[in-house]
Amino acid sequence: MAHATDTAHDAHDDQPATGIKRWLFATNHKDIGTMYLVFSLIMFFVGGTMAMIIRAELFEPGLQLVDPGFFNEMTTMHALVMIFGAVMPAFVGLANWMIPLQVGAPDMALPRMNNFSFWILPFAFTLLLSTLFVPGGAPAGGWTMYPPLALQFGDSFPMLIFAIHLMGVSSIMGAINVIVTILNMRAPGMSLLKMPLFCWSWLITAYLLIAVMPVLAGAVTMLLTDHFFGTSFFNAAGGGDPLMFEHIFWFFGHPEVYIMILPAFGVISEIIPTFSRKPLFGASSMIYAIASIAFLSFIVWGHHMFADGMPLAAQMFFMMSTMLIAVPTGVKVFNWTATMWRGSLSFEPPMLFALGFLFMFTIGGFSGLMLALVPADFQYNQSYFVVAHFHYVLVPGAVFSIMGAVYYWLPKWTGNMYNMKLAKTHFWLSTIFVNVLFFPQHFLGLAGMPRRIPDYAVQFTDWNMVSSIGAFGFGLSQILFAIAIIQCVRGGQKATAKVWSDATPTGLEWTIPSPAPYHSFTTAPEVH
Amino acid sequence: MIVNRAPEQSRRIRNSALALLSVALAVYFAYIALTIYRSRH
Repeated sequence: MAHATDTAHDAHDDQPATGIKRWLFATNHKDIGTMYLVFSLIMFFVGGTMAMIIRAELFEPGLQLVDPGFFNEMTTMHALVMIFGAVMPAFVGLANWMIPLQVGAPDMALPRMNNFSFWILPFAFTLLLSTLFVPGGAPAGGWTMYPPLALQFGDSFPMLIFAIHLMGVSSIMGAINVIVTILNMRAPGMSLLKMPLFCWSWLITAYLLIAVMPVLAGAVTMLLTDHFFGTSFFNAAGGGDPLMFEHIFWFFGHPEVYIMILPAFGVISEIIPTFSRKPLFGASSMIYAIASIAFLSFIVWGHHMFADGMPLAAQMFFMMSTMLIAVPTGVKVFNWTATMWRGSLSFEPPMLFALGFLFMFTIGGFSGLMLALVPADFQYNQSYFVVAHFHYVLVPGAVFSIMGAVYYWLPKWTGNMYNMKLAKTHFWLSTIFVNVLFFPQHFLGLAGMPRRIPDYAVQFTDWNMVSSIGAFGFGLSQILFAIAIIQCVRGGQKATAKVWSDATPTGLEWTIPSPAPYHSFTTAPEVH
Repeated sequence: MIVNRAPEQSRRIRNSALALLSVALAVYFAYIALTIYRSRH
């Protein structure tokens, strides 16, 4: 598709600042992208440690390592850290790095706001994680913060609410930056339909963020006033409606799920064509599919609440609308497969992760269809089947796509190739262990094991042991990821501008040298 | 990186950013207002 006619980079006199100032006052999209990605990796290990505690406790029945209250704190904090601290910032980091490079812009449209968006996050997560040390402990009622349970949290409650507000502000500012950059700063000749799929997926995701993060903010503001200012929005004792919170929360919560997966679709749509040496099959239908999924995400929230009681007509509506999502998702899976059909495939680490995504995200998609069926959901609700479902979508789905994206663009960022053998070992270990970890949870759920419990009946022991072994294996495998990145940053075989030159990477990012110069596209390239 | 832009582009960037910010704030207050309305009827 596009190629740059002017990729020359003039010797700039404004080089990066030295020391801490470079990062503290960063306005360069590459620096900010790097900070987001490093922050996300740290949070991935923090949230992962919590997951290890959960799986260690569940290794066998009975209570052995932690008390039940702390177990509940771990499940709640694991979710909050992974969603808001690991997955979302990772995609924002990728957006920061790649959107200006892919649209041929010198930087994000609002660089100072970009700095502010990032630097809010360390404060938000310091606040959130410090709740582990306050009287009453960290939030323990689940990441969904349902009242009235959430209103009974201890001193952690206002800290949680403030942290969530901060994360929301950060996300909204990040989303505004993405939209404004894409709409106003594309290189001459780059029409919207010529734009790479990663940018498209982020453009749509950014609109979702602006539409739903304020809804979460509104919900938690009302929780706060219920707790401290005597209102009764969700307090049944004062005439409020706890179910109303669930409706508002999931009106945010379901689009939030897509906020975590749509950029992943964009990443996969970049990787598969490159290593199939073919253009993406049905590129414009991919864009319409993402837009359809985004639209449908606003009308399916009730499927999270089937068992809470709702009119039959509402159950039918939410069931049908949820199943409808399978159509655009099916279009995407078909198009990725059709892209590979008769392609000249090669299996470098990004492609391996993309293929892992394709197989395992689809498993999560199918269990999602099972959960969409109202009568079946009454059985699956609150069981480990639900845990298996959303972890399949989020771990070998979203997280694998993030790892694939890092392996795809890391040589462009650092100028060095990474250790391919190490990266492939990381992929195979992760793929084996992620299935050992999450697949048995389907069996546990179908056999009746409830979620969010520190102890269980003895008949669930075997599969829990298998799942925990998978968890430890998966956790340890991620050390290879960190090693591969650190080695690559420190040096290695030099990468060419095209990086994957024996494949066919397309897009403006491959027209600039590797590593990407500190200032790129100071003169807008022309796209034909 | 802070770059010098044409005034027209700056204006477009500022306007789109403010429009999006207004949408976010409007959604925030609309949801609280709707919940108040719902709890009073």
